Amino acid sequence: MLIFEPHIHMFSRITDDYERLCLAGVRAVLEPAFWLGQNRTSVGTFVDYFDTLVGWEHFRAQQFGIHHFCTMALNPREANDERVNKDVLAILPRYCEKDSCLGIGEIGLDDQTPTEEKFMSLQLELAKRHKLPVLVHTPHRDKKKGFERCIAIVKESGFPMERVLLDHGNEETIKLTRNLGCWSGFSIYPNTKMDPARMVSIVLEYGVDHMIVNSAADWGVSDPLMVPRTVAKLEQALVPRASIEQLVWKNPIAFFAQSGRLNESMLLKPARANLRETFEGNSVLRGQDPDRA
Amino acid sequence: MTTACCGCILLAPMSRTITELSVHLATEADLAGSLGAEIRADRSRLPVLFPGLPRRFGREAKTGGRVNIGPGTVELRAFRLCDLAAAWLLLSCHATDAELWDLYAHGDIEERAMVLRSLHFLPVGPATVRLFGEVQRTNMVLHFEAALCDGDLFARTVGQPGFDQTAANKLLLKLAFLDLPLHRVLAAEQHANPELSRMLQDLATEREAAGRAVWRDTWRLIGMAPTAGTAARLVGGLEHGDDGVRAAAAEGLLALNRKDLRPFAAERLPREPRAEIRAQLQRLVQRLADA
Repeated sequence: MLIFEPHIHMFSRITDDYERLCLAGVRAVLEPAFWLGQNRTSVGTFVDYFDTLVGWEHFRAQQFGIHHFCTMALNPREANDERVNKDVLAILPRYCEKDSCLGIGEIGLDDQTPTEEKFMSLQLELAKRHKLPVLVHTPHRDKKKGFERCIAIVKESGFPMERVLLDHGNEETIKLTRNLGCWSGFSIYPNTKMDPARMVSIVLEYGVDHMIVNSAADWGVSDPLMVPRTVAKLEQALVPRASIEQLVWKNPIAFFAQSGRLNESMLLKPARANLRETFEGNSVLRGQDPDRA
Repeated sequence: MTTACCGCILLAPMSRTITELSVHLATEADLAGSLGAEIRADRSRLPVLFPGLPRRFGREAKTGGRVNIGPGTVELRAFRLCDLAAAWLLLSCHATDAELWDLYAHGDIEERAMVLRSLHFLPVGPATVRLFGEVQRTNMVLHFEAALCDGDLFARTVGQPGFDQTAANKLLLKLAFLDLPLHRVLAAEQHANPELSRMLQDLATEREAAGRAVWRDTWRLIGMAPTAGTAARLVGGLEHGDDGVRAAAAEGLLALNRKDLRPFAAERLPREPRAEIRAQLQRLVQRLADA
């Protein structure tokens, strides 16, 4: 079964992860722009990061036959940082127009501050201007209230709900989002936000319509194979194959296809891998023969 | 009117190129015109609009053969409509070298290809030389092809400030390294020289020692500018198991034009199984007999 992993921070992962993803059936990944574990102090470091998302990281994924996409944004944590927030917003328009950019994200709330709310609203306007969907990061602390506030901000902005993916959901938040017309995202982490067994229960109760699962794997304790692991659990629970395929393949494609830059036919073949090539002189190889690696 | 603008761009030839590109943009020329107007009204729109050109104009290659557009000659079928639109926009908004570099440096793989394809229609200048340096360094085949192949840009750039014979040799060596055919770099063979032959022969020896294939055009180019070992390599090429190498060796010997090598060609002639190579050998034997 082919898998579209719609939220994974490959910037923070090793090359072996790409090989494991490929072997597990992951045909495409989407990498939302995010916080790198510590705050950046100037806009230049964001420029470099965004260039990496459409450049080196895109190239690196291709070397393993994986299509790489991204969303661009000022993340909620650094939205609070006056050293960078306005300048990052100013440079975003050109990155919103990159071919592999399928949306604006991660925007949303983290500490749930007024400044985060302001930059979430500004980036909803940015998404309107570029006709892109949005990937919304929701808080890990005081989550239910954070979800409610995110939903309220989206409504206040007049942004269409069908172009909103509210991520990092759980058993409580699905009750808020299921009838909104938005998409509900679940990050399957080892023992925290959501795990495969709990995800099975949610699918059995709510079905797979407008539901999306991801690993949100990053530099922390996380597992890039959480979507394939969830697929295995769903199969064991006798969830019909068509439903599983909708959850891990058709749904994320349908959501990000709203960018006008993605369709399923683009993903029917693996990405073009040419291990002889390098990107800015850099290769994923470390002396191996490109014809045999 | 011919006025210096942005350091290297001349308005009158530029205007002619824009007109010629418009013809090839055909029905999409109006779209290019509206984007150009948007950029001229607000310069900051250039890097925002540029990434979307493949989506707006399409990625399909043009049809058609060799044509002259503006300062250069290109194989039209190697260019996509978005490449022509990119060149049209850069010319019509008088893009500076700094803007070209910015588009390349912060561009994704597709944008970089468009910038490099656009070089074929822009006046040769420091940006050309700088970007040639980049494609040599990156080893990205798509980008090397975009800058060097399917046009005479390389030949027009040789001799410009910063792009002397040494720099040109390095790029042609890279062509060999990437195993791209010589004929795709229009008029490149006019820049054959003994130092390039030495570099190509060294690469060939290195590849042979590693049991790897050698760039076939090596035999073709070295005959045009021989150096130590050239004659032996060419004669040896006549016995190669690869048809392409034997054909290139016959061409190289034709260019070398050394009467003392005629017996080798004459001896090979009746044993050559390929009709087209036999014909080449026949010409070679005849030419050397007349020499």
